[in-house]
Amino acid sequence: MGECIRRSPVNFTAKPKRTENRGDWEVVLEYDDEKEGPFLIDLSHCPKWDLQDRDISSFTPFSIPIPEEPGGSVFDKGILINRMNKTQASIIHIAGDAADVPEGNSYTDTTDASVCMALTGKNIFYIAEKLSSLNFAGMKKEIPFLLQGRFSHVPCQTVVLERNGFSGTFLFSCSRGYAHDMVHAVFDAGEEFGLKPAGEKAFTGKFMPHH
Amino acid sequence: MSLTLTCPICGERNGYEFRYGGEDKGPMPDSKELTPETWTDYVHNNNSVAGVQKEWWFHRDGCGTWFTLNRDTTTNLEVK
Repeated sequence: MGECIRRSPVNFTAKPKRTENRGDWEVVLEYDDEKEGPFLIDLSHCPKWDLQDRDISSFTPFSIPIPEEPGGSVFDKGILINRMNKTQASIIHIAGDAADVPEGNSYTDTTDASVCMALTGKNIFYIAEKLSSLNFAGMKKEIPFLLQGRFSHVPCQTVVLERNGFSGTFLFSCSRGYAHDMVHAVFDAGEEFGLKPAGEKAFTGKFMPHH
Repeated sequence: MSLTLTCPICGERNGYEFRYGGEDKGPMPDSKELTPETWTDYVHNNNSVAGVQKEWWFHRDGCGTWFTLNRDTTTNLEVK
């Protein structure tokens, strides 16, 4: 049986400094000359599931309760759970040790169908405002929270993980096919703010510092 | 003026994010007394009100929720 290789739909032009083989993925931990942000980080290798059930509140994936209100998110032990609507939630394992795949007909693995990236650092919500009418910086909700709508004209799930004025961190994910143009648009919008690509460490170092 | 609609989950958004789902015609006719005429009327005939009507909308580019709201068809504005 041949070797299985899974590739992220995201390609940064920067030269990887450190990489790691994780399962079937080659994950870039750090790029050359990263220095200071703001950063765009590819997290498409992170396992992602959709959970859909009419009785969704009775589920506790990875022993974490699903947020009660649609638009709510919970980030615990490297697992991010976003309540999308009455019957659906998305789950992303974004940091920490490999987790068991949740079992049952209500779960669908969407890792290979989607692209997931993070924007982190100074002025990232100014960059976001150039790409979307979603109210990232002004939304009065408890962090983390989910916003669903168009980001760079593409239907996305976006999750604000931290916010300090117009700086902070947010994730966005959409269908895999948009990756190339999405990266192009985000770097174009972020050029005036010095946006650069970064490896996974720039994200995990912030949210899972002991990993 | 462009159409904006209020999604019960995401709040007020641009109308282009939504898919129209037709008039809200209420519950389906009772199957016990259903005739071909009543069923055809329910499925195909619309009231096409010139004024405020209750409609189904789907938040296609957002949370994926079906919901109803009132819209004035003469002004193309949501009525809250």
